[in-house]
Amino acid sequence: MRFAIARDSLLPRIALAVALSLLCAAALIALSGHNPFTAFAAMLDGAAGSPHQFGVALNKSTPYLLAGSGVALCFRAGVINIGAEGQIAVGGAGAAATALAWPIDSPLPAILLALAGGAVAGSAWAAVAASIHLARHVHEVLVTLLLNFVAVLLVQQALAGPLGEFGAGFLQSPKMPAPVWLPRAIPGLDAHPGFILGVVLAAGLSFLLWRTRFGFSLRVAGASRPAALYAGFSVARITWGVMLLSGALAGLAGGIEVLGVQRRLIEGFSLGFGFKAVTVALLGALEPLAVVPAALFVGLLEAGSLSMQRQVGVPSSMVAVIEGLTMLFVLAATVRRRTA
Amino acid sequence: MVPLLEMRGIVRTFGAVRANDGIDLDVAAGRIVGLLGENGSGKSTLMKLLFGMLPPDSGTIIFKGRELSGHRPAEAMLAGLAMIHQHFMLIEAMSVVDNVMLGWPAAGKLLRRAAVANQIRGASARFGLDLDPDAKVANLPLGRRQRVEILKAILRGADLLILDEPTSNLAPAEVAGLLTILRRLREEGRGIVFITHKLPEVLDVCDEVVVLRAGRVAGRAPVAGVSRAALAEMMVGRDTTHAHSPDPRPPGAVRLAVRGLRGPGLAGVEFDLHAGEILGVAGVDGNGQIELADTLAGLRRGEGSIVLNGQEIARASVAARMQAGLAYLPADRAQTSLVRAMTIAENFGLRDHAGFLLHPAARTAHAKELMTAYDVRAPGPQTVAARLSGGNAQKIVVGRELDRAPSVVIAHQAAWGLDPGATRFVLDRVVDLRNRGAAVLYISSELEEVLAIGDRVAVLSGGRFAGILSRDKIDLGQIGLWMAGQA
Repeated sequence: MRFAIARDSLLPRIALAVALSLLCAAALIALSGHNPFTAFAAMLDGAAGSPHQFGVALNKSTPYLLAGSGVALCFRAGVINIGAEGQIAVGGAGAAATALAWPIDSPLPAILLALAGGAVAGSAWAAVAASIHLARHVHEVLVTLLLNFVAVLLVQQALAGPLGEFGAGFLQSPKMPAPVWLPRAIPGLDAHPGFILGVVLAAGLSFLLWRTRFGFSLRVAGASRPAALYAGFSVARITWGVMLLSGALAGLAGGIEVLGVQRRLIEGFSLGFGFKAVTVALLGALEPLAVVPAALFVGLLEAGSLSMQRQVGVPSSMVAVIEGLTMLFVLAATVRRRTA
Repeated sequence: MVPLLEMRGIVRTFGAVRANDGIDLDVAAGRIVGLLGENGSGKSTLMKLLFGMLPPDSGTIIFKGRELSGHRPAEAMLAGLAMIHQHFMLIEAMSVVDNVMLGWPAAGKLLRRAAVANQIRGASARFGLDLDPDAKVANLPLGRRQRVEILKAILRGADLLILDEPTSNLAPAEVAGLLTILRRLREEGRGIVFITHKLPEVLDVCDEVVVLRAGRVAGRAPVAGVSRAALAEMMVGRDTTHAHSPDPRPPGAVRLAVRGLRGPGLAGVEFDLHAGEILGVAGVDGNGQIELADTLAGLRRGEGSIVLNGQEIARASVAARMQAGLAYLPADRAQTSLVRAMTIAENFGLRDHAGFLLHPAARTAHAKELMTAYDVRAPGPQTVAARLSGGNAQKIVVGRELDRAPSVVIAHQAAWGLDPGATRFVLDRVVDLRNRGAAVLYISSELEEVLAIGDRVAVLSGGRFAGILSRDKIDLGQIGLWMAGQA
């Protein structure tokens, strides 16, 4: 399975896809007996009606942005990595374990160490998938997808054992030590700095993709494997590179969620994040910088979903429908068959 | 004898190429007609027109006294034509009887498995096919699979069977079995068109032979009384104009020495390539051309020794071989030598490895120079390669590879499919480079092209060089025999 993206006039296509999905959602809301305009207004109010709400939306966008830009890089290289889900979970566990095992009193080093622990754990989990894929020639979709389930169970196992909080009625770790809590660092907003970090990293990935030899080689590999071989690029090296990078980003996303939102490791804290990151990567046309607005769009939808339910009575699961529709429309608008 | 099939004045063009240029072909019932010709001589096109896979530009086809025109393959089959392709159209996971019933209306809406299996046993005994209806196709050797195709044709009541290079995938014993089956079909009064490059089989089984060259009938003769040499000459033609007169200069130092090169498709290639020489490699496609070119360039692994400028490179990476002065123009431009989704500038830089950062401005400027030097006609360096014509696209590859002033060039089908102007341009560049002292291995299935450009000519057959002739000793008869698999 390879994706080829129709590059000409991508942005208008995606804008059209988003508009169509909102139109369909409006029709569904109307069918359920509510006014779509009030529902969307309530959603917008809940997502960006106050600095606090907008901060929540930014926080919700952060894991999609980080993991999604990594997934975009993999897809560009023709490596269909569906493993962000597991890499985020393992990354969260890695960050929590690091913070609990090596408590440091001053915040900055403590946070950096814990996040590094998350990134390394995510990367290591991606390395498992990469090595199985490259050594045994198992299709990467299969390996990354199946390892997600293993990862989630491993994190559960850790919470039931060494990482778990004794006596808690739920599978969760003890509260993280205060120095590793991510500060509400964005002035005026109730948000941790994760989104800012995500934007910086996405810019870095974009530079890597378009302005470095490695980025060029991975784009060649994504466009045509025989051409990469002919050009003298090692597809194995490229695969390792993008898998480790995207694993680190997903691990970072898990770490930030643990340190910045939950402040402890909770079973299922990242449920669905990694799969949604794939949606976001495609919504962002596999361009790391365009993943920023794509992640923000999904974050805003989710932040607004509860207020839509409260104020208008449209079930919050309607947001999942909108996300699904957006995904379908974006795929229909951008992905074409390779043989053309 | 009343002909079963009469094709008259068949013409079919593809752009400027006249693939069939007024071909007449007759097949009588109970006769086997051999259809001979090089790659691109028009055999496959003629058969596709007959079978309704393509419409002819002009000409008539009369089959069993009825004119066929505007027909589709399904109608051709109903009329009593059967085509047996080189690559079998069978479903490997299914049994013989399932494959026979597949797409056969007579098998009934409710499949009459047992009845069909009985028919298979009957036909199998009658023609010596030796097929078990319940055997799974995946478990059958290639020769048996071909018999399943023949069986399908027999049961569907085909009066004329077209076999496209039926022996190319068979072991010698299987070939003998096939020829026996064909003789039985002939005894029953069916007509057969036997497409092949191989002279011995033609002489063995055919009643008459028609030779195509460049879209025309170059000769036809009853097989009795025709010699191999005469057939070989008909196939390759006589009057080859040598476009590039050779420089009779003494050969330079050995640039590339290949010994015992083996691997899938290669059976021990050996040659020396000298500075200032073009070694043309002729041969029918599928005799190891791609394997040889890819193995020399490092895209495939093979056993044996490849010494480039005194340095053993058989284990070296693609990039290391490039560094050592090897340039490669692969046959596959759609996927390998060009990235169609990328720009002209990116394609010129496809094989650059120096430096961590890309320098888009410098890359664009360099691409502009190369576009001028190599006559790439496009709006600019940022034009996407997919928008270019075949000739302009190939000029990018030629520019990228030859501009590095390589000491050895491997060119495979370098002028394939190009218009005459672009062909001339590519060949001239290759000859220029030779004149400046490079060594060139020029592999092509166009014999005329190889003869025109080669200082020496080798023939690749069955994964090895059947022989090498220097230009002053060119013997077309000998080349034809080598190409036809006669050592």
